[in-house]
Amino acid sequence: MKIFKLILLSFILITTVKANTIYNLIKIPNLEIYELKTPNNLKYFYAEKPFQLGIQKNISCTNSSKQTYDEKYKIISNNLNRYSKQFLKKINLKYIVMCENLSISGINTAGIPDHLMKTLIIDLKFNEKYFERVIHHELFHVINDGFKDLFSEDEWKSFNNKNFEYADCSTCSKKLGLDTYQNTNGFFTEYSKTIPSEDMAEVFSHLIIDRYQNTNDNVLNKKVEFIKNKLKKIDVTFEF
Amino acid sequence: MIKKINATLSEKLILIFLLALAIFAFSFTVLIKNKCLFVKNLDPQKINFDKPKNIVVLNVECGNVIIELYPELSPKAVDRFITLIKSNSYDDVAFHRVIKDKLIQAGDLEFGKKNKLNYGKIGTGKSGLGTISSEIDAEFDYKKGSVGLARNLKYNTEDSQFFIILDDEPLFEGEYTPIGKVIYGIKILEKIKYSHRSEYVLRPDFINTIRMYRIN
Repeated sequence: MKIFKLILLSFILITTVKANTIYNLIKIPNLEIYELKTPNNLKYFYAEKPFQLGIQKNISCTNSSKQTYDEKYKIISNNLNRYSKQFLKKINLKYIVMCENLSISGINTAGIPDHLMKTLIIDLKFNEKYFERVIHHELFHVINDGFKDLFSEDEWKSFNNKNFEYADCSTCSKKLGLDTYQNTNGFFTEYSKTIPSEDMAEVFSHLIIDRYQNTNDNVLNKKVEFIKNKLKKIDVTFEF
Repeated sequence: MIKKINATLSEKLILIFLLALAIFAFSFTVLIKNKCLFVKNLDPQKINFDKPKNIVVLNVECGNVIIELYPELSPKAVDRFITLIKSNSYDDVAFHRVIKDKLIQAGDLEFGKKNKLNYGKIGTGKSGLGTISSEIDAEFDYKKGSVGLARNLKYNTEDSQFFIILDDEPLFEGEYTPIGKVIYGIKILEKIKYSHRSEYVLRPDFINTIRMYRIN
């Protein structure tokens, strides 16, 4: 035990303090700056080494290759540049973290929004086919987290047919498909059927990526109107 | 009669070596003791300022640091800073958080005063004037020497603590309320005591005084 204490003490004594501004700001280690000068003031970071987060270190992500960072940064920034600086300030999003193999408690995830830290972590390889739509999906979670009262889940549930029930959580269901239905029937994708907030995020991301025309799907029409109205309440200048 | 004995060559060499060693040791001790030896101290009265009303003189162990305030950028924050300067509140307050070549922080009026330093709580003290809202909307390039008001993890918690950066910090823009910039004397701030092992300094250096500039 004494030896252990001595080793620990010597380690502390030889460990010098190093300033890490990124860590101080968003509490994520092993990040480097990718781009700071952007039209809407978003700051992009990339994982230089794998990192773990959370009290129990249950969130983890690994670093990616330079080529992937370069390719995906172009896609991400192109998509996020459609949001104005003012809008991003209102929803409290400032930092984008790019990494690979993002997971929470071992379950892979496309992104992790942290409204308080103004951060969105994006997995660069979660889903190549729907990568762009997923960016907006995850951004909606940042919006939702900041305006919980605005996006009433009870009101949202009331739009669905009475016999429909969501799952208890987004990972409690096997309905994870992201392909857009031909016959929507109240939902854009299979994943929409997991929980209300994922359904909202799917509606939002579809509205951003594709221009939605009102159809005979009254449930979906109501959901679309709901999302559009709430976004207008956050920022009257916001346009889909 | 005392017979004079000439020193041998090796004895002369030893003597020269000892003398050189003594001179070296003495010089080294002086240099180590006097960290301000090669730092130029400025007399603000010998400088012409464009906006003398916005000039603040921070006096520390190695001399005067001249700061220009930007009230047009952060009116509330600068007003708070001036209020505390005019009441001499910053006198004898510790530079409690220092990161070598990066940042110095001071202004804990509750737990950072020389006569009642509280190492357990330093950095958490208040001024008694309440917090003020963050002023972070204006564009501001956080270059070396920029001065900002410190806050805790949340916005709108600025009070009396301030920091001066010793290196460019582009990520601070939009995060911290800028109040001014060091226009002379950044080298003096680089001599503020720091620790290699912690951001928080044991037996820290103190602010002697901070005063608004007055033409004599």
